[in-house]
Amino acid sequence: MAKEKKVREPVNWKKELRLAPGYIILSLWVLFTFVLLGWVIAASFSTSKEIFSGDVFKFASGLHFENYAKAWNTSNVSVFFTNSLIYASISCALLILVCAPAAYVLSRFTFIGNKLIQNGFVASMGVPATMIVLPLFGLVAGWNVLNISLANRAALIFLYVGINVPYTTIFLLTFFGNLSRAFEEAAAIDGCPPMKTFWKIMLPMAQPGIITVTIFNFINVWNEYFMSLIFANSDKVKPVAIGLYGMINSMRYTGDYAGMFASVVIVFLPTFILYIFMSEKIIAGITGGGVKG
Amino acid sequence: MAASPHTVPPCFIHTFSFTISIFCHRKEVSGLKKNKTMIVAFLAPAVIMFAIIFVYPIIRTVAMSFFKIEGVTDAISKWQFSGLANYIKLFNTQLFRISMWNIFRIWFFGGLIVMGLALLFAAILTSGIRFKSAFRAIIYMPNVVSAVALATMWLQYVFSPKFGLFKSIGDMLHWKWLSKFQWLDPDHLFLALLVAYCFGMVGYHMLIFASGIERIGSDYFEAATLDGANRIQQFRYITLPLLKGVTKTNITMWSVSSAGFFLWSQLFSMVVSNTQTITPVVYMYQNIFGAGNSVTERNSGIGAAVGVLLSACVVIIFIVCNKIFKDDDIEF
Repeated sequence: MAKEKKVREPVNWKKELRLAPGYIILSLWVLFTFVLLGWVIAASFSTSKEIFSGDVFKFASGLHFENYAKAWNTSNVSVFFTNSLIYASISCALLILVCAPAAYVLSRFTFIGNKLIQNGFVASMGVPATMIVLPLFGLVAGWNVLNISLANRAALIFLYVGINVPYTTIFLLTFFGNLSRAFEEAAAIDGCPPMKTFWKIMLPMAQPGIITVTIFNFINVWNEYFMSLIFANSDKVKPVAIGLYGMINSMRYTGDYAGMFASVVIVFLPTFILYIFMSEKIIAGITGGGVKG
Repeated sequence: MAASPHTVPPCFIHTFSFTISIFCHRKEVSGLKKNKTMIVAFLAPAVIMFAIIFVYPIIRTVAMSFFKIEGVTDAISKWQFSGLANYIKLFNTQLFRISMWNIFRIWFFGGLIVMGLALLFAAILTSGIRFKSAFRAIIYMPNVVSAVALATMWLQYVFSPKFGLFKSIGDMLHWKWLSKFQWLDPDHLFLALLVAYCFGMVGYHMLIFASGIERIGSDYFEAATLDGANRIQQFRYITLPLLKGVTKTNITMWSVSSAGFFLWSQLFSMVVSNTQTITPVVYMYQNIFGAGNSVTERNSGIGAAVGVLLSACVVIIFIVCNKIFKDDDIEF
């Protein structure tokens, strides 16, 4: 309501002038961000020669879409991209399947250990990856899966899911806590067993929360670096973040800067596009609940 | 929490559940038994995952740090107890001391820069400017794109001595020192790393500060305006004291991300174990998983000790923060 009022409010020049320093500071920062992104996108459509002479915005030799074709086909970006897409989608789906029921039970029932589990989940969000990576490596290597690519993929997904279980559960827990109990009670009167009530009624009602947390999980898994670096054993199973790192190193030596920037754009585009459409939801998810120290 | 569109008026719920609890008392009891299986079945997957990924590894890492272990995958029977030897060795290793100093510099100076900018931006955002959500969304944006892509943009473009953004800005404004500044020299690499990292982190902490400021009731400011306090005085005497809890959250989150500092350091070190950019996690990675020109002996116990030390730092910062910001008795 307040928002609508603000839009209709006529421009109060005295007020805007008082805010001018604020506008200038934020605008400079935003301008810098735009130039940074704009230049990289422009560079990805030009040639290495144009990049070095500093004329990427002129497009003197036209748009070079072949940079993308080359990056996609010859430097394995397609493989890394597909891998990341598979890992992120499967992990997100599994995370909801694992965490939504747990979050529901934790938010609805009092039982011994409830608070303990919640506190454990919250505390684990502050644990550095170095603290858990050695035993996990021992465990996964012990299963002898790192040399079979399908098993390696499964191990990666298992890790992505495991790392994000505490965050997802705590996020959904606050969400379920806000849903009314009247629905379950009405369902119970009608003879619906509690488990069925959860799957048929409560889970669909938690949809807004599930969408938000899934966006976060997708971004997290897509950008995950440390674990992937250690556990992705071959080029065939590497996700984009690791693949891009290797590609940048090789392209720096061959001097293919246009191709390198094209790969950079391909890697940052999926989460970027997701953000353009979902930024309001993402920002509400961060400031609303989820993270509380 | 984002408000759900499915909320039912609370008074309705209360009367409703009250009636149910009166009439269905017997049903509740039998329902409790069924709930037991439901609680176990619903909790088991998440708790088992949590035990495998967090509880077991944390316990094992703490134990490993007191042993001499040749290979990461070695069975416990092959471990040799060595007491605090791993920790003593770490502190006698110059490279590790440098890496701890680096992470401290990132945490402290980076923290000052990021918190300062984040607070400034949050104050501007909540001062009633137009295009607030657009500004907010763009400043937060670096947090969602792949950090590898972001670091590459900075390294290969912004800091480039040939066609870099900073060089262009320096040329445009005739600031010779800026266009000549060699960001990627070994001497300046740390500064470059700090600038690039902070740029990406400001957005997140800004959001936390802004939400804290928005939660302060507007009547405080109205009262202060009536008493003749200007905006800066209001910020100093109303906003800042009421942001204690939010500041605690921000410092904790900043420390957690500093403790895991790895990606930026790895991307910014063109040579293996560059002393300007090495951090404890990189040191540990090179020791355990690395190609190994800096490795003198294979001992996973040392890697575990690095992890324990970093976690201890996070815990200490958390405790100190809680002590400093303890008198948070102002409710709003």
